[in-house]
Amino acid sequence: MSSIAGTKSGLTWAVQISVVLLVALWLFPTVGLFVSSFRTADQISSSGWWASMLPSERNETLRTANPDTQVQENGTWVIQGNLFEADRQAEISAWGITSQDIAAYTPGETADMGEDGRLTVEANGDYRLVNETEFSGRRGERVFVTASSPPEFTLDNYREMLFDPSNREGMTKAFFNTLTVVIPATIIPIVIAAFAAYALAWMRFPGRALLIAAVVALLVVPLQLALIPLLKLHLAVGIGKGYLGVWLAHTGFGLPLAIYLLRNYMVGLPRDIIENARVDGATDFQIFVKIILPLSFPALASFAIFQFLWTWNDLLVAMVFLIDATGETTVMTKQIVELLGTRGGNWEILATAAFVSIAVPLAVFFALQRYLVRGLLAGSVK
Amino acid sequence: MKTRLMTCTAGMALGAAFCISAAAAADLMYAPGEDTRFNWDSYKAYAESHDLGGEQLTILGPWLGPDQDAFDSVLAYFGEAANVDVRYTGSDSMEQQIVVDAEAGSAPNVAVFPQPGLAADLAKRGFLTPLGADAEAWMKDNYAAGQSWVDLGSYEGKDGSKTFYAFPYKADVKSLVWYVPENFEDAGYEVPSTMEELKALTEQIVADGGTPWCIGLGSGAATGWPATDWVEDMMLRTQPADVYDQWVTNELPFNDPKVVGAIEEFGWFARNDDFVAGGAGAVASTDFRDSPKGMFSSPPQCYLHHQASFIPAFFPEGTEVGLDADFFYFPAYAEKDLGSPVLGAGTLFAITKDSPAAHAFIEFLETPIAHELWMSLEGGGFLTPLKSVNKDVYVTETRKALGDILLDATTFRFDGSDLMPGGVGAGTFWTGMVDYVGGKPAQEVADNIQTSWDALK
Repeated sequence: MSSIAGTKSGLTWAVQISVVLLVALWLFPTVGLFVSSFRTADQISSSGWWASMLPSERNETLRTANPDTQVQENGTWVIQGNLFEADRQAEISAWGITSQDIAAYTPGETADMGEDGRLTVEANGDYRLVNETEFSGRRGERVFVTASSPPEFTLDNYREMLFDPSNREGMTKAFFNTLTVVIPATIIPIVIAAFAAYALAWMRFPGRALLIAAVVALLVVPLQLALIPLLKLHLAVGIGKGYLGVWLAHTGFGLPLAIYLLRNYMVGLPRDIIENARVDGATDFQIFVKIILPLSFPALASFAIFQFLWTWNDLLVAMVFLIDATGETTVMTKQIVELLGTRGGNWEILATAAFVSIAVPLAVFFALQRYLVRGLLAGSVK
Repeated sequence: MKTRLMTCTAGMALGAAFCISAAAAADLMYAPGEDTRFNWDSYKAYAESHDLGGEQLTILGPWLGPDQDAFDSVLAYFGEAANVDVRYTGSDSMEQQIVVDAEAGSAPNVAVFPQPGLAADLAKRGFLTPLGADAEAWMKDNYAAGQSWVDLGSYEGKDGSKTFYAFPYKADVKSLVWYVPENFEDAGYEVPSTMEELKALTEQIVADGGTPWCIGLGSGAATGWPATDWVEDMMLRTQPADVYDQWVTNELPFNDPKVVGAIEEFGWFARNDDFVAGGAGAVASTDFRDSPKGMFSSPPQCYLHHQASFIPAFFPEGTEVGLDADFFYFPAYAEKDLGSPVLGAGTLFAITKDSPAAHAFIEFLETPIAHELWMSLEGGGFLTPLKSVNKDVYVTETRKALGDILLDATTFRFDGSDLMPGGVGAGTFWTGMVDYVGGKPAQEVADNIQTSWDALK
């Protein structure tokens, strides 16, 4: 008996370990993105996010102050100050004055740069540049340092995205525009699909099976196929590009899955309740409103989450059916793409934008998540 | 001016935000007539002859961020002068969007094409409106190397006849090598003036224990395009310009020994592990936006970077072009005596939905002030081949020097991959170059590209 119990606990361990591993694996990219959103563009391109959490030793190119800050002391000209930006803590382990040999001197040593003067750099970045003749030129001397600095993070990306005066207006507008798109685009398909699903599940009429088959067949049609013909239709009937058009498009693209999901859930509801209601003289509409809808709530909620996430993250449908060249309407995804700049490559903004735009879907998800698992199983378990 | 102030005060009552947006939309950087460097006469003459009565004009283009801000400030003057409600939207997927919109019939009035290939395609399908003989004649007379700019914007229409459809405004210079002057000083290197010297410098840097080049071809779906610039530059430096012209029209097959020779010239630099930072294997996988950063690292990963005039936007923050980084002209072979060829590119403005305001806008682009305003701005890296502008307006000395290259080129040619059919110039040429740096022989790569070109005919 004990051996059986032993195997059991061993398996539990295996299960728990693999769960932890899987969770870590799934979270890994998100954590990386999150850490990257607190780093500057130069940091992202020079080292990986995993390296940013420990104190790191880096080679940097810094400059002394401009010659116009020089002062005269006992017949010599002096420029002094600290190489690092004001609030930065770093410790220099080696430094140099040419790109050919960046670790020629240790802190405290003095480098003789010939007619450019003599430079002394301390470990904390304090320097003193002395010369007999006046310094000229527009820029300070380059100093190459090898310095270890504590982990450094910045909120600048979030500030730029949310509070920069040139973006703020666009972001706020995009946020409300997106809500205007997403809320109706979630509610309309659910309403239509719930009616349709009831009819397909519980009302008897000729061709019902064929209709269900057609809905399932529509699930595999890629929406990209329909973009141009649908837009042509919208323009022809006078809807044009706008909210109505994008609501209709999202509704159309979301309906097959919605009907399929809800119908499979409703078909699994106990037949007795519905037949009892029929015997008691309830109409189809009463059965739908009083019995089916309350019982199907988990399925409705889970589809609402799906549809909300799709429409929130959608860029393609909005670009085709909503955003016209007047620039009066925009959505969050479009606004984020714009922040990336003409030639792209601003990863720090992309990482930050991902976390800003994720906030609302996360809130929706946590509000409805207890229905999600039940809804996910909709139709699959009898 | 006065009316705007009034609106602003009225707006105060409704809320400060309204006032800000109204003012920002119509902000003019310089009051007309104020800064004497600008050609305000052309602005006044234009304003007097144009009044569109508040008509709306929509423009779709590729610029975003700071580039968009710069273009918006130029547009503000057009809106003010011609009394047009002008709206610009930028999109990074502009090339796909304009096709969808043109097909469906919801195109903007004016579209800005980053490459001529797509404009030619839309012209052929009848979506573009010809700009007329006047614009064509103006361009021929007023742009440096005017005829070549006219050719860049002339395509076959639906009826098969060639017409001037797209107005080139805003140019890029491609034949540049970027470097860090202070690193050159530290190592004692001189800026080379011939290709022979450039090759000698490359070998010299390796002998000194450094790595000469940073080359990155990565660009998402467009990976490989920086290599096409290399090959085009090499083509112009090993063959006369008329051979180049035959090459871009495929009169000279892609797998001709002359083209294969140019590809191998590029290979001399890119396929040598010692010559490229990270080794030849890293060329295809390094992003073109990240690759120039190697010049600024400590110690420098490389000394030289071949790229167009837009690249300073991707230098590390705080880099001052002209001091921290500079460029020299990608030199020609002294022994070949082919002059100093320059490779360039331009964005093209075409009318996708005809309206009086759209034509007025094209006429606005013919005024020197439209060029000078953008020249005075940092965003967008604006250069112009217009001869009548005041070059002192350029925002930096570097920009001015780049502008001079455009005005003084003895041989000026456009980016060949832009002129080739899309399937080649934005397809197999790119992927072929990735294969080539990956180790495939040049002849085989050229054969494949020619096969794909034949298939398109």
